[in-house]
Amino acid sequence: MTERLRMTGIVKRFPGTVALDGVELSVLPGEVHCLLGENGAGKSTLMKILAGSYQPDEGTILLDGRPFRPATPHAGLAAGIAVIYQELDLLPDLTVAQNLLLGRAPRLGPFVRRGRRARLAREALDRVGAAFPVTARVRDLPIAAQQLTAIAKALTADARVIVMDEPSATLSESELRAVFDVIRSLTAEGRSVIFISHRMEEVMEIGDRATVLRDGRTAGVYDLASTGRDEIVAAMIGEARELVGATGRPAPEGEPLLSVERVHVPGLIDVRGIDVRPGEVVGLAGLGGAGRTTLLRALFGDLKAQVTARLDGRPLKVPGPASAVRAGLALVPESRKEQGLMLGLSVSRNAAISALGRPPWLLPGRLGRRITEPALASLGVKAAGPAQPVGQLSGGNQQKVVLAKWITRGGIRVLLLDEPTRGLDVGAKADLYRQVRHLADQGVAVLLASSELNELTANADRIQVLYEGRNVACFDPRVSPESVIAHTVITGATP
Amino acid sequence: MTASIGSTVTATAGKDGAARSRRGADLIVKSNLLLVFLALCVVASLLAPQFLTGRNIANLLQQSSLTGIVAIGMTMVVLTAGIDLSVGSVAAFGGMTIALLMAAGVPVVPAILVSVAAGAVFGAFMGGLSAYLSLPSFMTTLAGLTAVRGLTYLLTDGKPAEASGSEAFQLLGGGFIGYVPIVGIIFVAITVLAAVVLRGTTFGEYVYAVGSNKEAARLSGLPVRGLITTVFAVSGALAALAGVLLTSRLTVGQPTAFNGLELDAIAAVVLGGTNLFGGRGGVFGTFVAVLLLSVLRNLCNLLGLGSFFQMVVTGLILLVALVLNMLIERRGARA
Repeated sequence: MTERLRMTGIVKRFPGTVALDGVELSVLPGEVHCLLGENGAGKSTLMKILAGSYQPDEGTILLDGRPFRPATPHAGLAAGIAVIYQELDLLPDLTVAQNLLLGRAPRLGPFVRRGRRARLAREALDRVGAAFPVTARVRDLPIAAQQLTAIAKALTADARVIVMDEPSATLSESELRAVFDVIRSLTAEGRSVIFISHRMEEVMEIGDRATVLRDGRTAGVYDLASTGRDEIVAAMIGEARELVGATGRPAPEGEPLLSVERVHVPGLIDVRGIDVRPGEVVGLAGLGGAGRTTLLRALFGDLKAQVTARLDGRPLKVPGPASAVRAGLALVPESRKEQGLMLGLSVSRNAAISALGRPPWLLPGRLGRRITEPALASLGVKAAGPAQPVGQLSGGNQQKVVLAKWITRGGIRVLLLDEPTRGLDVGAKADLYRQVRHLADQGVAVLLASSELNELTANADRIQVLYEGRNVACFDPRVSPESVIAHTVITGATP
Repeated sequence: MTASIGSTVTATAGKDGAARSRRGADLIVKSNLLLVFLALCVVASLLAPQFLTGRNIANLLQQSSLTGIVAIGMTMVVLTAGIDLSVGSVAAFGGMTIALLMAAGVPVVPAILVSVAAGAVFGAFMGGLSAYLSLPSFMTTLAGLTAVRGLTYLLTDGKPAEASGSEAFQLLGGGFIGYVPIVGIIFVAITVLAAVVLRGTTFGEYVYAVGSNKEAARLSGLPVRGLITTVFAVSGALAALAGVLLTSRLTVGQPTAFNGLELDAIAAVVLGGTNLFGGRGGVFGTFVAVLLLSVLRNLCNLLGLGSFFQMVVTGLILLVALVLNMLIERRGARA
C-alpha cells in the first residue's frame, strides 16, 4: 500500500531553540495514526508545518507520493489537510452552515446561495451523525456538537488527512464515543486520521499505529495492536516514571475543615453534604456538565449561588472571589490561560499578584521577586528566569505558577482545583499531584475536580460523584474499584 | 523527585538568550522613541535656528504640558485596557468651574481642590459604570464626552467666564522659573509620580494585572472593579487639573476649550508604546511622545507650514510608530 503521507527529516528552528530535529512521520491511507509525546516534544509544531502555518527549515513532505509544501493554511486545506485544533477555530457568532462553508460558500455572482449552502452543510452534518440544525449558532452548541461541526468542516473540504489535536480534552465519555464512531467511518472511507492525545486508553482503543516524539525527534513507531502501553509511555518520557502519584497513605481523620451543607444554583446544581478534613483530598468526579466547575465556582463566590457552608466551624460567606481569598480559599481555575494567568506578565509578577493585597503597599520589583522565590523554587518552576513572560512557559510550568501564586500569598486553608492537569503530559501531571499532596500534608483541605477518573482514584482520599448537578455517591478509592466508580459516573446509579 | 524537577528556577542557555534579546527589543522600543525624538530635535535646530532658543523651548514645554498631564492619566486608563474619551470635556468643565469659583471669591486652594475633585467624580462615575455594569468604557466615556461638554456650556450659557484671580493663581498656569514654565514642572512631577505608582506600588501592579487579564485578576482576589473606577477617577482629576491650569494662564474660563483633547492624548499614549489592549507600556513612553508631537508641531510652525500640513504629518508619524512597534514586538514574541 502506498503511503498517504510521508514527512522526512523535518527540521524547524526557532530563535534560541530547535523545535524539530529531523522528525519522520509516515501515515497510511485509512489509518488512525496517533502522534504521542510529552508537552514540548514537537507535536504541535509538526502539525503546523503539515497544515502550512509554519515553513520547515529542512525536510520533505510527500502527500500521496507527490511533493507537498503548503505555504499557507489555506493551501494546506486545499490540498486535503484539515487540522482540528483543540481550541476549535470556529466563529462562535456564525451559524453552523456559515462555519462549515466559510470562504467556500456556493455563490451566484455576488450572492450566497443560502439554500444550497444549507443543503451541503446538512449533508456534512449527517455524515458525522449530528442531529442539530445547520442554522444553530456555534456559540449555543455544547462542546461536543462544536467538535462534530469542526469534523464536518474537514469533510466539506474533502480532506484526505484529518488531524485532531486532543479532541477528547473537552469531551465527556459519551461524547467521545460519538467522535470515535465518526473517526472509524472516516477511516473506512480511506481517509487518514492523525490523532493527538495524552490519554493512553483512547490511543490504545482508536489508534492503529503510533509515532512517538521526544525532544523534537522521532523516538519510535509502534503497531498499537502488538505493543503494550507501558512500552509506549516509556518511549514518551524516555525513562521509567510512575504514571500518577499513588494514594499510599491512610486517610486523614478529625473534624472537617470545610463543611459544605448545601450549594444550590437553581437549574444547575444542588449539592449537599460534602466535608473536607485538613490534609484530605476529596475528588469530584462526573461527566461534562455534571456540575463540578459550577460547584467550585459557587464556593469561590464567582457566581450567584445559595451556599451554606462552614470553614473551621464558622459560617462561610463569600460574596465574591476577593472575600473568598481573604477567607483562605484558593482556586486553580479550569482554564489557566484565560482565568489563571496574566500571560504577558513575568513569572514573578504573576506569582506575586495575590500576595500584594496587604501591607507593605510599596512593592519594588525586587521585593516581588524575593517573596515569590521560595514558592517557585519549591514547586520547581522551570523558566529562563523570574522575568520571563509566563505565556512562554510549558503548560505544566504555567500551572505551577498558578499554584505558586497561592503559596506565595500564604494562609491557604482550602484549595479548589478545577481540571488542574488538562493538557499536561504524564510527567507534569505526576509532578503537579505531588505538589498538591505536599500542600495537603501541611493541613490544606483540597477539593479536586477532574474528568480523569484514574487520576482521582490515584490521588483522592475520597471521591464524590456528581451526576446532573447532584452528588449521588461517595467512594473510597482504596476500597472501590475504578470500574464501579466509573459506572456511577456514567449512569448516576449507586451500586 | 527527579533531578530535573527538584531544582530551583533553572536558567537554560537558549532561553536565557531569548530573554536577553527580548529585553534588548524592549530597550529598543523604548529608546527608539527617544532616539527619534532627539533626531527630530537635531533636525529642527538645523532647519530652524530659532528652535533652540530658550524662549521657544519654554513655549514648547508650556504648550505640551497640559496635553501631557491628561495623557498621563490616559496612559493609566489604557493600561487597564480601557479608554477615556471624556477628558476634553472634563478639562473644559474643570477650567470653567475654577473660573466661576474664583469669580465668586472662593480662595485659590479650595477652588482648585473642588474643580479637580469634580473631574475625579465624573471619572469615577463613568469608570464605575463601566466596571460594575460591564459596559465598554468607550461607550460610557463617549456619553460623558457629550454630557459633560453640555454641562460646561450650561454653567454660563456658553459664554466665557472671567477668572478674577490673584497674581499667584495666574503664576500657576503662566509663570516661569527662569526659562522653565511652572506647568512643565507640574507635568514632570506628575509623570514621575505616576511612574512610581505604576512601577513601585501594589496599585500599579494591579493596573498591569487587570489590563493583562481581567478574569485572572478577579479570580486572584484582586479588587478589579474598584481599581478600574479609581483609574478613571485619576484620569478625570488630571483632566480637570489641565483645565484649571489653562484657565490660570488665560485668566478666563473657555467652555469651548480642549475640543479634541482626547485624541491628542490617545495619540501620545499609543505613540509612547502603550498597548491599547492593556497590560503593556508605561508613562515614560507617553512623556517622550508628548514632547515629540509638540516638537513636530513647533517645527512646522517655525518653518511656516500650515496646520493642515501639520495634521497630515502627525497622522503619518503615528502610523510609522505603530508599524515599527508592531514589527519589533513580533520579533520579540518569536524569540
